[in-house]
Amino acid sequence: MTSPSHGQDPHRLEPEAFLEEVHSFEFWFQAVSGYLTGRPYGHRAGAGAPLIEPRERERLLTVLANYCVGETAALEGASGLIAFAPNRQAKIFLSTQVVDEGRHLEVLLHRMRDLGVADAEAEVERRANHALVMFKRRLLELVASKDWEAAIFAQNVILEAMEFVVFQTHAKRADPVTREVLEGIVRDERRHIGFGENEIGRRLKQSPHVRPRLGEVRRELDPLVLASFEETLAEAEVPRSERPELGRSYLAAVARLGFE
Amino acid sequence: MADFLSAYSIQSWLESAPQGYLMNTEYGHAPDEKEAPIVLENPTMRAAAIRTTVQLVVGERCALAASSGLINSAPDEASKRFLATQTIDEARHVEVFTQRLYDLGVKKAELEDALKAHANPHLVKFAEVLLEKVDKKDFVAGVVGQNVILEGMAFHVFELMHAGNQSLNPKFGHTLSGVIADERRHVGFGENRIGSLIRENPGKKPEIQAMQRDMSYHMLATFAAAFRDTTERDEMERITRAAEARGEIAKPAQWQGADLRALEPAEMERLLGDTVLKEFKIRLGRIGLEYQTPPGQ
Repeated sequence: MTSPSHGQDPHRLEPEAFLEEVHSFEFWFQAVSGYLTGRPYGHRAGAGAPLIEPRERERLLTVLANYCVGETAALEGASGLIAFAPNRQAKIFLSTQVVDEGRHLEVLLHRMRDLGVADAEAEVERRANHALVMFKRRLLELVASKDWEAAIFAQNVILEAMEFVVFQTHAKRADPVTREVLEGIVRDERRHIGFGENEIGRRLKQSPHVRPRLGEVRRELDPLVLASFEETLAEAEVPRSERPELGRSYLAAVARLGFE
Repeated sequence: MADFLSAYSIQSWLESAPQGYLMNTEYGHAPDEKEAPIVLENPTMRAAAIRTTVQLVVGERCALAASSGLINSAPDEASKRFLATQTIDEARHVEVFTQRLYDLGVKKAELEDALKAHANPHLVKFAEVLLEKVDKKDFVAGVVGQNVILEGMAFHVFELMHAGNQSLNPKFGHTLSGVIADERRHVGFGENRIGSLIRENPGKKPEIQAMQRDMSYHMLATFAAAFRDTTERDEMERITRAAEARGEIAKPAQWQGADLRALEPAEMERLLGDTVLKEFKIRLGRIGLEYQTPPGQ
């Protein structure tokens, strides 16, 4: 598949043409083909399946199960957003995000099965952390209420920023297979955050009165995000000394939009 | 069920579609392909192509809304993932058919007006009947409406259009062949997944059959309107005969064993309607539903 802008750097395009380009299916495929080709279920066949100690395996399964909760939230959130997205380009971008999130869920469940889990879905339910489940419920309420700004903010800024920070950190210390799977996911998340920041940034410029409402959403969701962080990073054996720094990275990502 | 659904995984989709039949395409066709001059340079044919493509965009927008809307009500995680692939397929179809409208000369700023002006009211009603079920989070009715009825109809419409375009307008023919390959997967999922759910919920049958009857009524009315304009048909015949005389068409366009050039519009409408309805009956029977004849048929 080739890019509709024929190799032109999209950043050189006019704002409207830029959005048409970067929110298209064609652009999505250009972006993913490089890192998904030859990597069934998110990793190369030769990535090496390491022996994992039983205790470490248990921890990894809990972490992966919670990633699945986050990805299910993102899949259901992104698909629900399509119905009331304000224009065709946003609908098409969200469709690419839906398949990204579906893929993340699939590769993570596949990794759990690789680690010997027979019923991965049941395992996800058993190991899900409370704060993350609460976050998912709240996100889907915002989507169901068809509040575009609040739902996009919760989904493509808060949830995606949280996942980005956690996955990136975990990938650095993960076994080779898990690392490749996570690195592929992180590349997708970057695109999703870009969409969220762009969309919310433009909305805030056009309608500054939206800001206090989004500030409220953030105040409500931050404690759930930080509690999920704490649990997941502990299971991923990220040293306690590094965890505040990661919390700050997440807060900085959200602060870029002017939410202190 | 798990084994059947593994054939509909995102990994299978990646390998068969983006890394398979969509490789080296741009908006579904080869990057250097252009709309045929007989369409671009002939005002009658161009207007007809715009009208037809508008119906495709309207149908695909409905399919996008339905497949994405069904994800949250899907009863299992594997169905959610399949619907994720269907969502992006439908979004791609919206994109390629919208791009065709631009290629045919519709200005970007005038897209929504063109859709409003040309959308067949029966097709809009057809979409509303389906989306009402999706809005109510009725997964079983939604999948029957979307993956058996809408996709079953679309599949044959696209095949008929493909037969008529593959020689005269290869660019559009290629776009359609990728879309047909997607639709085949969608129809297969509907049949395979829904049979067991209907057996588990026999009480839902009357409501789903009523939806099928309403959707079939609006579908047939859409077909009737599409074949009513004979100006385009006469022009098409003239162009086809000229192309044949120049040796540009090796053999006449055939579909379902019929020579499309020899058919009158009413005969073509009947052939399409009969083919779609025959398939509906077979597919509905496989999932335990009985075809309901729409009023006036």
